[in-house]
Amino acid sequence: MHRMAIDATPAEASREAPPKQVAMAMELLGQAARLIADIRLGADRFLEALFLSAEPHQSNKPLDLIRKEESAMKQHLEDLRNIGRQLEDSGVLNEALISRSNSWGLHMPLVCPDGAVVAYAWKRQLAGQAGASAVDRTRLALKSFLEQKRRFFPHLDIESVPKRHCVTQPSVVDDHEDSSYYKSLMDILIGLENESQDMKVLAYERLDWLKRSSSLPSSVNEDSIETSVGHTYPGANKLKLGPLGTVPADKIAVIELFIPSVLRAVISLHPAGSTSPDAVSFFSPDEGGSYLHARGVSVYHVFRCVTEYSNMALQYFLGIKMETALFFLLQWVKSYQTLFTKACSKCGRVLSVDRQSALILPPVLRPYRKMLTTGHISLILNAERRCAWIEDDLSEMPAEAWRRWQFLPIRWKSYLSILVE
Amino acid sequence: MPMKWVLHWHPNTGTTVNSQILNEISLCVECINGVKEGRWKAVLTFYRPILRDQALAAEFPRDFLGLSLPEEPNKYYFILRGQRIVLEADSSIQVIMDKLQSYKSRVSLNFEGTQYRLGDFQVRVGKVVPSHSENMRGIVMEVEYLPISSTEKCRQIMAEFVDILQEALSKRSLPGQFMHIEPNFAEYGLLDHYTSQHTAIQYATVMAQLIATVQQVQPMRN
Repeated sequence: MHRMAIDATPAEASREAPPKQVAMAMELLGQAARLIADIRLGADRFLEALFLSAEPHQSNKPLDLIRKEESAMKQHLEDLRNIGRQLEDSGVLNEALISRSNSWGLHMPLVCPDGAVVAYAWKRQLAGQAGASAVDRTRLALKSFLEQKRRFFPHLDIESVPKRHCVTQPSVVDDHEDSSYYKSLMDILIGLENESQDMKVLAYERLDWLKRSSSLPSSVNEDSIETSVGHTYPGANKLKLGPLGTVPADKIAVIELFIPSVLRAVISLHPAGSTSPDAVSFFSPDEGGSYLHARGVSVYHVFRCVTEYSNMALQYFLGIKMETALFFLLQWVKSYQTLFTKACSKCGRVLSVDRQSALILPPVLRPYRKMLTTGHISLILNAERRCAWIEDDLSEMPAEAWRRWQFLPIRWKSYLSILVE
Repeated sequence: MPMKWVLHWHPNTGTTVNSQILNEISLCVECINGVKEGRWKAVLTFYRPILRDQALAAEFPRDFLGLSLPEEPNKYYFILRGQRIVLEADSSIQVIMDKLQSYKSRVSLNFEGTQYRLGDFQVRVGKVVPSHSENMRGIVMEVEYLPISSTEKCRQIMAEFVDILQEALSKRSLPGQFMHIEPNFAEYGLLDHYTSQHTAIQYATVMAQLIATVQQVQPMRN
């Protein structure tokens, strides 16, 4: 097959749109390839027939084979010539169409001087575009991720530690409680119980907590006023009860912090017996039921808000240093003793309308950052509310941002699926 | 049980309550995102002893109140304000009293109205009408903070919530305002943990206030 330089563009080719031309050219090339394969096969049969004729005791069989094959080969070659002519006419075998302006940016398949068929130029072009868009999408995804990381986890960027929150009241300083002192889980729990008169610290194995939460009364009656340790509820003998010391330290998986008349906080440890919390949730002291667990949600708005916020605090404590996370988390929960009695440091009221949700709430925010910047533990007595957020305090992570963070993995899944394509 | 305050409407001197004021109050609650939940009704009854010898009447307390509350359908509450006594009984006590012919109902008043929910708060607005009459004698409002049950811890929250309500109401220029008088629960032997008995005492206090208010305008007929 030789190439002929033809300048004239065939009449029928110009009638079709470029994509159709490309498709037709591809089809013709496919046919040519099939014919070439047939010709190769025919040549093999010729050789076979000749080989057969070389052997003794053969009749006319090889001669018949040769004759049959000869006619087949003639036909194949004729067809190939026809296709060759058609391809020439459509401009595949020369470069006439490459410089055409109305080719829609598509290149016709080209047979190069060395015989290689550049038949996939247009496909490669589209693939190239897909590749380019994947790169763009990745770039956008990375940009979005970095932006959200900067917004929701500013503590991971060391330069962005905020200096806005000042402790306006003198804080309670406990000099002898250095954070490095609390190494073990039991030390932390016992230390906490000793220093707070109002708070009860109870520890459970994971399944025991389920039994305990189910047995808590869901509507309070006079009998359950003494619920603090739970000695009076039925089934107490069967459970390994909460008070520290009854459960082996390496099996403790759930910690309950009960501040009478204020709240009940449930903290889950993972792995059991360690000092790394993985979930925390707040409930009313009157709530009971199997939905009371470290990932459960209270039926009351105020505790729902505190829970949302506490998840951010937990992530913050874990991000700084995992070993001390539980200690700081417990101290921070303790600061909620005054949830219903201490006024907001920004607006001076105990109750006000939260702008985001239009709910009437007490101050649900207790700052947690300052707890780690000082060398010793200072109880933060500032109480704040969401009313302050919208003005200037993006570093306080509105609960809506936390909600968006929870949805982030779903969006990421869609990003990843585009990359994998 | 969640902490509750029972407030009564104190009309300005020379004015009386009417249903228009009640409507305005209801609208006001709805304006601050109150969601209507349903109706409620409590019944307060003044009892007097049935005595053969009327001379003994002086030995019996003047105001013996009985109260049925919507949140406790199986209970009935008795209050003797003068003696600081509150008692929780089964609701069948009314039948028993009737059969024994020991006490008779002198006057019965209905506290009825609509219940609203505002986030963690529950508000009930209602009118006070005698059982067999449509003549409105007063307006009451119940405010309840659902998450916690401690009387002490809730005090500030309740006070501020009432402030929010009063602020909203003051914009409507109504002839009067809500007032809350906190009874001394300890005198009745009750604890910090809030119960329906606390509610009963509050209703008795409110009743006394309503009587005083009405008597300013006209003497109350027995």
